[in-house]
Amino acid sequence: MLDRFLQARHTTRRHFLEKCQMGLAGMFLAEAAGAAPKASAENPLAPKQPHFDPKAKAVIYLHMAGSPTQLELWDPKPTLQKYDGQDCPQELLEGKRFAFIKGVPKLLGTPYQFKKHGQAGTAVSELLPHFSTVVDEAAVIRSMTTDQFNHAPAQLYLHTGNPRLGYASMGSWATYGLGTENQDLPGFVVLVSGNSTPSAGKSLWGSGFLPSVYQGVQCRTQGDPVLYLSDPEGMSRTLRRKTLDAIGDLNRMQEERFGDPETEARIAQYELAYRMQIAAPEVMDISKESDATHTLYGTEPGQVSFANNCLLARRLVENGVRFVQLYHWGWDHHGSSRREDIRYDLPNKARSVDRPMTALIQDLKQRGLLDQTIIVWGGEFGRTPMRENRGGKYTEYVGRDHHPHAFTMWMAGGGIKPGLNYGATDDIGYYVVENKLTPRDLQATILHQLGLDPYKLSYAYQGLDQRLIGPTNEARVVKDLLA
Amino acid sequence: MSGPRALPLLLAALWLVPTVPAEVDFQRQVQPILKKCLPCHGRDEHARQANLRLDSFEHATGKSGGHPGIAPGDAAHSRIVARVQDDKNPMPPGGERLSAAEIDVLKQWIDGGAKYQQHWAFEAPARPEPPTVSQPDWVRNPIDAFVLARLDKAHLKPSVEADRYTLARRLALDLTGLPPEPELVKAFVEDESPEAYEKVVDRLLNSPHYGERWARVWLDLARYADSQGYEKDGLRTIWPYRDWVIRALNANMPFDRFTVLQLAGDLLPVPTEDQLVATGFHRNTMTNTEGGTDDEEFRDAAVKDRVATTGQVWMGLTVGCAQCHSHKYDPISHQEFYQLYAFFNQTADADKPNDEPKLEVSDDVTTLIFRELPADERRETHIHERGSFLSPGALVEPATPAAFEPFPEEFPRNRLGLAKWLVSKRNPLTARVLVNRLWSRLWGIGIVETEEDFGTQGLPPSHPELLDWLATELMRLDWDMKGVLKTMVMSATYRQSSDVTAAMVESDPKNRLLARGARFRLSAEMVRDQALAASGLLNEELYGEPVMPWQPDGIWQVIYSPIRWTTSEGDERYRRSLYTLWRRTSPYPAMTTFDAPSGEVCTVRRISTNTPLQALVTLNDPTLMEAAQRLALAVADDDRERTARTMFERALVRPPTEAEVERVLALQAEARAELAGDRERALELVNFDRVLYTDERTATLVADVREAEEGRGPAAMWRYTTEDPGADWMQPRFKDSKWEKGRSAFGRMFRKESDKEDPNEKLSIATPWESDNLWLRTEIDVDEKELTDFRLYVRAFAHFEAFVNGVAAADSVQETGTHVDYKLTPQAAATVRPGKNVLAVRVFRSRPPESGQHVDIGLTAVRPPRLEAQGGDEVERAAWVVAANVLLNLDETLTRR
Repeated sequence: MLDRFLQARHTTRRHFLEKCQMGLAGMFLAEAAGAAPKASAENPLAPKQPHFDPKAKAVIYLHMAGSPTQLELWDPKPTLQKYDGQDCPQELLEGKRFAFIKGVPKLLGTPYQFKKHGQAGTAVSELLPHFSTVVDEAAVIRSMTTDQFNHAPAQLYLHTGNPRLGYASMGSWATYGLGTENQDLPGFVVLVSGNSTPSAGKSLWGSGFLPSVYQGVQCRTQGDPVLYLSDPEGMSRTLRRKTLDAIGDLNRMQEERFGDPETEARIAQYELAYRMQIAAPEVMDISKESDATHTLYGTEPGQVSFANNCLLARRLVENGVRFVQLYHWGWDHHGSSRREDIRYDLPNKARSVDRPMTALIQDLKQRGLLDQTIIVWGGEFGRTPMRENRGGKYTEYVGRDHHPHAFTMWMAGGGIKPGLNYGATDDIGYYVVENKLTPRDLQATILHQLGLDPYKLSYAYQGLDQRLIGPTNEARVVKDLLA
Repeated sequence: MSGPRALPLLLAALWLVPTVPAEVDFQRQVQPILKKCLPCHGRDEHARQANLRLDSFEHATGKSGGHPGIAPGDAAHSRIVARVQDDKNPMPPGGERLSAAEIDVLKQWIDGGAKYQQHWAFEAPARPEPPTVSQPDWVRNPIDAFVLARLDKAHLKPSVEADRYTLARRLALDLTGLPPEPELVKAFVEDESPEAYEKVVDRLLNSPHYGERWARVWLDLARYADSQGYEKDGLRTIWPYRDWVIRALNANMPFDRFTVLQLAGDLLPVPTEDQLVATGFHRNTMTNTEGGTDDEEFRDAAVKDRVATTGQVWMGLTVGCAQCHSHKYDPISHQEFYQLYAFFNQTADADKPNDEPKLEVSDDVTTLIFRELPADERRETHIHERGSFLSPGALVEPATPAAFEPFPEEFPRNRLGLAKWLVSKRNPLTARVLVNRLWSRLWGIGIVETEEDFGTQGLPPSHPELLDWLATELMRLDWDMKGVLKTMVMSATYRQSSDVTAAMVESDPKNRLLARGARFRLSAEMVRDQALAASGLLNEELYGEPVMPWQPDGIWQVIYSPIRWTTSEGDERYRRSLYTLWRRTSPYPAMTTFDAPSGEVCTVRRISTNTPLQALVTLNDPTLMEAAQRLALAVADDDRERTARTMFERALVRPPTEAEVERVLALQAEARAELAGDRERALELVNFDRVLYTDERTATLVADVREAEEGRGPAAMWRYTTEDPGADWMQPRFKDSKWEKGRSAFGRMFRKESDKEDPNEKLSIATPWESDNLWLRTEIDVDEKELTDFRLYVRAFAHFEAFVNGVAAADSVQETGTHVDYKLTPQAAATVRPGKNVLAVRVFRSRPPESGQHVDIGLTAVRPPRLEAQGGDEVERAAWVVAANVLLNLDETLTRR
């Protein structure tokens, strides 16, 4: 069903017309009586009532683009260890498609040790020594699946609910549904590290068919924190203030003359832009954080790093941003070169996230923000229990291919059950055998925690009430994950 | 003075709402109620519940089998009436209950015989007679009669005609996408002849910029872009298709021919080169070159996109909905989707990385085209169960949906036949959809607001008879697009002033009744093009390769992709926005901020937004600031008031009021006072372009082979070794005198005969390198102090890491067949001092030895700009730059009114 309340706030009037049985004449009457949305005068990002009491106010989504190997980090498999180096059983290969694996590959045990940590006894790899200490705060989900096995479609599926382009991102849906708390900052912020945007590019934080005010705004730690934020060469802040005053005065003269109420909206947007010019660099400047905080996260001001982005995520959420999406590229460990080798590169990669993501949990907790902030961590799919043999040959390097049938994610805060081990895979980690989750289930659960009904949150476009969770009602809010 | 009257609300209510409807209107009253039932009781057999269908009289009454929900003439005994009133378990389930008024409508309709009607848009338009109206002398052509008749009903009056400045700007922006030239405005304002207006219209319709403006409209539909899409999103050449569209529109090619050539130019008996280029329309689908993808999966995605896009563009229907299941609302079944698919399923393209088939149109330029498969390679088309190409169902043949006019026997059952069927004058949708689209670009909103959906889920037209008159007029004129546009802009309706009062806004906020002229924000392209035109920067050259105007650093960061954004040189960066290189995953950010679509899928209508990020673009984007600088330098003279007036007219295309002049002068004085104490800033402002562009002040510190190839001198000499030299090899103090000496490039070429795209091509290797590792060092002589923006240029079929003076400077694991620039890390850049510096690079072989390997490295930096007074007092002129920045940011400047 269309969510009437939310829809009424937006530019399309389809729903309104449906409600109004008298046709156009009636529509004009109702508009005159003030029942229709005034998209221009009303701020579409103003905070809105959720469908029901929310458990969380904000989301920090840590996406590990390229997809980390669950078998080295989260999901120990003694049987796989035992058959390390042997041919993969034929029944596991039949009817499967792989990105690069050819012929009969060999099973690959992990070179890393696992131990159980915390009261929940959660298995965590030696590659994540920091995270092991806070694992009791998280729900580790070893039963994620997807139906896409290439980066771009799998990322799109996870974030927009559809493997094709043109759909709205989860952060767009959240800000469409809830607005945002701080009008001087964007409501949906994207931070990218790892030397590359993720495979699917900016479509991952696009608003699709939703109005473009809901698209993610990429904030950067080098150059302008928001594109075009800084005044041009030669323009000082005092001059900028004077120009804005002149723009305001001239706009008002023109408004008086031509009478268009849009002009008032434009004046407001210029003032907002001016405030954002101050607010965004302030919130993006981590240099004034304490030494203790920098030590906690492992941050270095001025760098582009996952650590800096984690600290920024905390600052943004603290300042009322609704949805902070991090992308950290570089987990595509196929084993086709040294840089893609699970023995040589994976430890570096794990090191680059271990301390910061741990710090994020600790820092949010000590500030009393963890309860109201959902943290999500994971890639777009998993990696095979088999060693990749690109082109049918092994090289000196070791890695794993894309694997949609099983991967691990964790969630923490925002009403997610802490200290939970959820779901399981078979002996070699190929298939999920318990509590299978799809991206749609994840999406439904996140929306639900924000106080949004995932079945109701919709937007009329191309003859359908479009929803993040797709047209069918297969998605479930995973109650087992909720505290 | 005729203006709309602000009626008191109650009075308006009496006029607008009939108290006792004589008869229930099926389309406006009943259909919206039935729509709530159709998801479970409609065409979609998979979703159907209780064996009940309500989408036609025969089904609803049980005459075609299934349960009867309706007893015609007898609401009291109709099952659905009982079910919607059921207290325990009312229909529709889960949602809001039907209101008492809705239930009454339903009962009245059933009692009256439950007559269904064909959806209005599926009936061929009949040519309506223009109605008689209250002010016949206001009517300039039939458009006005239809509009005024509607206003008469609402007891409103049209607005006065806009003044000539406004009209000149409105016409020029609407018809050419550019502001009018000052000389045209002057001539029009002074022209007292009765044909003055028409002369301007004709001149603009005949301007070559007309084709550019309307091509942009069409390219949104064609999802045109200069890249392949998906992960790698590599660049492709398909701009000859874009140029074909511009030429076709400028030549006013009739829309039926325009259609046939794009959908099926290759199927004409002897297609010309141009006709093949035109088929690029549907080659704008995306190609997935990511490793391991199933080409058939993405070929299928492209074909589905072609079906959906064709439905959207020509029929205004959401055909794509039927790819997984029968359309829930419109008469397109799951099977019919794949019958349409069958038309498009015989082309030779197959999601190959090289985008074949292509056509060579001139030296080194090939463009993507359609080619039909030969008879022995034709594909079978099956229904895809649940839309998945991996689940083929029944075999189907090409056919058009049964609800529309039959496919003529004499048409071939291929794309050519389909194209002809679309532009047959019996097709109820094509002409309506096109005139509505043209109308929407002129009024900011269509007669049917949901341009993308003329089906039963779309909004009904505000002026149904006007829409049908325009559609039939277009066909009477044999699809003459310029002709119908001229009719539109010649109307009195179009010429109305867009000035409003609060009462007018309140009574009709979206101007659906057209009691005033339209007012809407300029498109993304117009915002930029107008600023370029106003400042005199605009390069009016037509056609050709896409260009790269300035954009912020770091926008293009796509993994596994070496391509870089390098600002075009000279005038090329001031080309119209239409020519900006468009990469789907990273489109030009200033334009996407103003709602330009990415080009990934067909965009029928851009939804205009108003955000603070737009204010940041127009205030701060250096392109806009450069326009302000050039505008200021072009008009500033000793007479401040004259300068203010001229600048205002250039930016807003009208003379300013006295108050406006005063405000501009006041700002200029404030800016002067501020800048007098800061001449450095003033110099930066008047030299803004020199500060912005670095191409003329870039110095080569380490020459790569391109220097040699372009005759500027030899490539740099390096010290190198292939034996591990120990940990401190990159330090400045390290002694490399025992290393060997050699010029760049290093490597060993290997070229597979079969692979023409081999990145190893065309590189002059000066020093052989065949081992796993290579360590390189060279000295950099720096003679200037204030170098900035150090960039390493590396072409490497290998991986590398680089150090400057021992500090990590750049690294990459991408193989690049061209030279790619890497900005030095700030830490490394900070170590560069006048005198000797050391660049050290370690290179790793990235491929098995038989694949070849190479590396070539250069280093550049940028000298500080030369700041000059620019022909007058820099403080005075810089203050005008500030004023120009203001004028290019006014709401009126950004609005078409």
